[in-house]
Amino acid sequence: MEELFTYYDMFSAKGDEYLIIILFLILVLGFWSFVNMNAER
Amino acid sequence: MAGEKLETVAVVEQKEESPKIKSVADFLDFIKKELKPRGNIATPFNIISLPIMLIGYVFIVLRLVFGLGRPITNLSQEYPWGLWIGFDVVTGVAFAGGAYVLCFIVYVLRVEKYHPIIRATVLNGFLAYCFYAGAIVLDIGRWWNIYNPMVGNNFGVNSVMFLVAWHFFLYMMAELVEFSPAIAEWLGAKKLRKILSGLTIGAVVFGITLSTLHQSGLGALMMMAKSKIHPLWYTQFIPILYFVSSIFAGLSLVIFEGSISHKVFSHQIDEHHHKQYDEILVGLARICSVVMFGYFFLKILLVVHEHAVKYVNSTMGFWWLLEMIGFILIPCFIFMRGAQRKDKGLIKLAAVLTIMGIILNRLNYTFIAYNWYVPLTERYWPSPVELVITASIILTEVWTFRWMVNRMPVLKEPPAWAKAMDRH
Repeated sequence: MEELFTYYDMFSAKGDEYLIIILFLILVLGFWSFVNMNAER
Repeated sequence: MAGEKLETVAVVEQKEESPKIKSVADFLDFIKKELKPRGNIATPFNIISLPIMLIGYVFIVLRLVFGLGRPITNLSQEYPWGLWIGFDVVTGVAFAGGAYVLCFIVYVLRVEKYHPIIRATVLNGFLAYCFYAGAIVLDIGRWWNIYNPMVGNNFGVNSVMFLVAWHFFLYMMAELVEFSPAIAEWLGAKKLRKILSGLTIGAVVFGITLSTLHQSGLGALMMMAKSKIHPLWYTQFIPILYFVSSIFAGLSLVIFEGSISHKVFSHQIDEHHHKQYDEILVGLARICSVVMFGYFFLKILLVVHEHAVKYVNSTMGFWWLLEMIGFILIPCFIFMRGAQRKDKGLIKLAAVLTIMGIILNRLNYTFIAYNWYVPLTERYWPSPVELVITASIILTEVWTFRWMVNRMPVLKEPPAWAKAMDRH
């Protein structure tokens, strides 16, 4: 159990975190336009 | 549900005259009259719910007298939080989040489109706090000391429970003030209504501020159990997750509860509002889908941040994926599709899935992903008494909601004098 809760370098995942945020920002633009698209038209 | 309809017909058929209350005796007479049931009492819902409620009340008395141990509950030193904290309190408060979100949209952003459902939502939020958050009394070992954080006998400022207690108390007061103009209209108290209406904006701003704090405060409560919560759920940002999830949890309950109310109390709602309601549903679905989309990415981000990705390929990891995909991503896209097509059926389906997902998420924090390394045979499972008491609390809230909606101007239009007062 103990090895699960050891301290870690919180900056080591920063690159992945930036990528996730950039991916989110790109996808949310498309998502927003999809949400506001009126399929009945 | 036919009985409820009969009851609502009876209400509408009554003349919308305000009562003339000039003395305490008049007031007591009025309350006595209002407490009497209206319409057909022997409805299927009443017949099923009443015995459950009565048995639940007996169990509540037994719990308060004999304590938390077995056979009343399956709680123990290892599992101090069970169904009552996980479902009644933590989940109930998330579902009450619809009130502060809608108040923000209507009173701060001034989006009048949502105004017709604001009173029902605030009432629902207020009752959720009274009953579900009130259920915290059952979870406190020495429940007779519950007033201590309020009166200063023993504030307990070092505990996160102090924060939760004061937030609950203040927010309940704020919601009561927000709803109070409807009570004043029901009583025909014109002067009182004028004063209370003046307090609404202040109460709304105060309530929204408190909500952002205590929704996340409940998340902070979970942070005390760092070594016990599975790394896929534990993060130092639990408060933010709780706050963000309360937005779509609350709105999903507004959609779910509103859809039932619009059928059961349909005679109280005029044709214009019925048509408006479809647009309201689409608007709420849009908000839910966008917030859930953001929440999904936030969860992914935090799992990466906490170095917990390696746990995804495990039994608990598959359980986490079920929550993430089945109850966040899929309802998010169903909401989106429902909003695009203006399909009420899809929107309601997404709302139900979201409600299930929130219940699952909160129960994960309190007892499923909590002590997750303990073998299944030694895990906590709610006892029958816990289940009956929970059902009894929910049904009592539904009965109270129905009683108030049938008597006060919640879904129906306020009296003419109140409308005239608003115009001036």
